[in-house]
Amino acid sequence: MSTLSRTLGYLRRIGFKEYGHQMQYIGDTKAGTLIGTDRYGNKYYENMEEELPLRTRWVDYKQAEYDPSQIEPGWHGWISYLVDSPPTADKVMQTGVRSWELPEHRPNLTLSRGAFKTYSTTRPKYSAWTPVAAPR
Amino acid sequence: MLLRMAKPAISGALCAAVRPRLALSAPRAQPIAALSTSSIKSATALERQSSTGQQLTASGKARREVPLPSQEKKEGAMQYVLTTLDQVTNWARQSSLWPMTFGLACCALEMMHLSTPRYDQDRLGIIFRASPRQSDVMIVAGTLTNKMAPALRQVYDQMPDPRWVISMGSCANGGGYYHYSYSVVRGCDRIVPVDIYVPGCPPTSEALMYGIFQLQKKMRHTRITRMWYRR
Repeated sequence: MSTLSRTLGYLRRIGFKEYGHQMQYIGDTKAGTLIGTDRYGNKYYENMEEELPLRTRWVDYKQAEYDPSQIEPGWHGWISYLVDSPPTADKVMQTGVRSWELPEHRPNLTLSRGAFKTYSTTRPKYSAWTPVAAPR
Repeated sequence: MLLRMAKPAISGALCAAVRPRLALSAPRAQPIAALSTSSIKSATALERQSSTGQQLTASGKARREVPLPSQEKKEGAMQYVLTTLDQVTNWARQSSLWPMTFGLACCALEMMHLSTPRYDQDRLGIIFRASPRQSDVMIVAGTLTNKMAPALRQVYDQMPDPRWVISMGSCANGGGYYHYSYSVVRGCDRIVPVDIYVPGCPPTSEALMYGIFQLQKKMRHTRITRMWYRR
């Protein structure tokens, strides 16, 4: 919320249901144009005219247990102001068009059973020993 | 997220379960299939079958479907009560994290940036405390030397339960650049139990913030009273 009048104006435009949804997800009241939806189902909005700088683009996550890694790479670039045009307009930023890409977007699997576990395939450079403390 | 990740695996398992049954029940009246002399060898582990028709995992054991922790259903009034209690407690915990700042090196700069207006950790309820007795989280930011290690352990021991540790930066994660140094602990997880590892040298403030979000997620899924009730 930047100013009260702006928040009330947005509230009038989006309605109480969307207001509650936004307060649950982004903790702010915003109104803007829907720019696009990614393959995961997240919706991306933009309001360049009325919002303050760096608040002009935002995402409406699909899941309540949201995570920034659910944002696809191209949309990540757009929402982080790396590029001007969204992936819907920019062919380079689109995902799922290259042959080597994963078939689906894979978010961060930390805290799930698919989490990354480190492993090493090389011989260790030092050998650990069990220290023995001399009695004092 | 857990639910979503489980979906492809389950649907894959279902497909694998259905397919052989169909092949067995259908009469051998397809000439095209009979023309092919080579057997179909699928690369996926789900397709492996034992002699009894039971599915096998990649390691050759019998496949067993286990529900994820998030997929477990609530049964009975007691579970509903306990789940609600847990949710309230976890909400309180995750929305007022007071970190103990264990700034040891350049990572501490990024940790300070997190508290400044650009990232503004105060809006998340995160207030740095200088005393370990008032803090919940210890952010180990920087190279942990052998000389500092007893102090780190003492500070950790002074923190009241429940307590969490975020290891920030590659030096705290595993020694990092100084891994082969004679005077550096190869990872602060040799001294204290670590919940979240934030990679980077140093990690950006966004990375640390993401680590804090992951810690909040971990708190959200902590089953406090439910585990107590299970005992």
